[in-house]
Amino acid sequence: MRGILPAVCLAVCLMTAPSLAAQDLQLPATIAAGSELTIPTSGSGAATFYLIGPSYLAKRQVQLGQEIHIQPREVRSAGRYTAVLRGGGSSQSGSFYVVAAKPASLSFLAHPSRIPVAQRDGVIGVAFVFDKWHNLVRRPETVDFRLAAKDAPPVAQSVRSRDGVAWILMNSAHKAGNAKFVAALDGIEETRVIQQVAADPCHLQIRAERNAKGVLVQTAPVRDCSGNPVSDGTIVTFTANGPQGLSTVDVPIKKDIAQAELRILGPATISVASGVVMGNEVKVGGQQ
Amino acid sequence: MKQITCVGTAALGCPGGSQTRLKVVLAFLALVLLLCLPSFAADAPQVHFDTSHIGPRQMEDVTGRNIPRDWGRAWQTLAIALEQNRPDLLGRYFSGFAQQKLAATIATQLKTGLRTRYIDHGHKLAAYFYSPDGGALELHDTADLEIQVFDGNDLVHSDRVTLHYIGLMTPAADHWEVRLLESVPSF
Repeated sequence: MRGILPAVCLAVCLMTAPSLAAQDLQLPATIAAGSELTIPTSGSGAATFYLIGPSYLAKRQVQLGQEIHIQPREVRSAGRYTAVLRGGGSSQSGSFYVVAAKPASLSFLAHPSRIPVAQRDGVIGVAFVFDKWHNLVRRPETVDFRLAAKDAPPVAQSVRSRDGVAWILMNSAHKAGNAKFVAALDGIEETRVIQQVAADPCHLQIRAERNAKGVLVQTAPVRDCSGNPVSDGTIVTFTANGPQGLSTVDVPIKKDIAQAELRILGPATISVASGVVMGNEVKVGGQQ
Repeated sequence: MKQITCVGTAALGCPGGSQTRLKVVLAFLALVLLLCLPSFAADAPQVHFDTSHIGPRQMEDVTGRNIPRDWGRAWQTLAIALEQNRPDLLGRYFSGFAQQKLAATIATQLKTGLRTRYIDHGHKLAAYFYSPDGGALELHDTADLEIQVFDGNDLVHSDRVTLHYIGLMTPAADHWEVRLLESVPSF
């Protein structure tokens, strides 16, 4: 009998120990951020309750047999929470996930801040959807992107977010000026300003006339292919090729035109270029 | 460097001579051991990085090497900061909401006397979204973690779990920072 008793005790211990250790708290699989949660308990006596979350940890004394109330402020951050209840020589635990609540803000990245006109897929918009506690809203939401330039109809497109992100590529407008780039979702709007500037010059035209000092060359008003005046400061290169050799002058556009005085005495052929764009050529005769 | 330090000190373990010498050597070894332990615990975890499902932008080779490096270092920082209640460490690899939430965790740890220890067994990291301008990267991480919770020195709970995380990284001056880190039920 003496030999059997320890064996029985051991067997009972081995059978009961796993059941104690394996006791789980009754928890939902997921709840929305900022929700209230009630956890039922059984037994009697005092116990310590722990809640371990992504940005919040709590420890408090509770009474077994009574419900444990989790306040909305304790489960604001999305992520995995572990609840542990220790008391009466046993420990129960469980975990649940807090997922984002309804969308409340957009984190909107617009790129670039300055872009030439008429650029295909040149404007990039990326919007991340967050709830009011800065949790990423992963369920699909429709984000409306709108690019509106002054005196031009806005271009709009809707995109479904995937895993919290919606993105779009849009063409820049044909007219230079500031454009409002908006991402919107359920009354939430984020606006960025995209400066649309003239693109490269188009159809460079020059005229040249001889004067006492040499040759004065001047462009016609320099415009891009959409008719926008090219920004002041854009460099225009005049090249003169004559018996005296090749000479080059770089000048910035000022008030839509670029001009330079070339000190050429003999006949020459003068050409113009800006960036990769070539203009016309003019021939001038030698000084009398 | 940490490993070299520890190997070097092992070679010093040559007891002999007077008791005083032995005590000095033992004290020195104990000191070195103390210095080594946190560094071993804080080694950057292994990160396997997959870019096969990335879009819309493809990832450059250098970025493809830097992302898992910085993700691992961020997790290493997270583990040390939470275990030692050091919010000051977070700024190097965390910013934005991720930094705010981790700092809030440390603040409540200090308030409650609880402490979290992450023993990191590695990450399977996959790039999910890389913005066309290269300014934002969304990642899916499957992490193999052992999470221990202490109340003072009392181990309250220990869990070996495989968790799914969504991360958002943005480039900083010479590295990538984690701006968002959320565990999710599934991808």
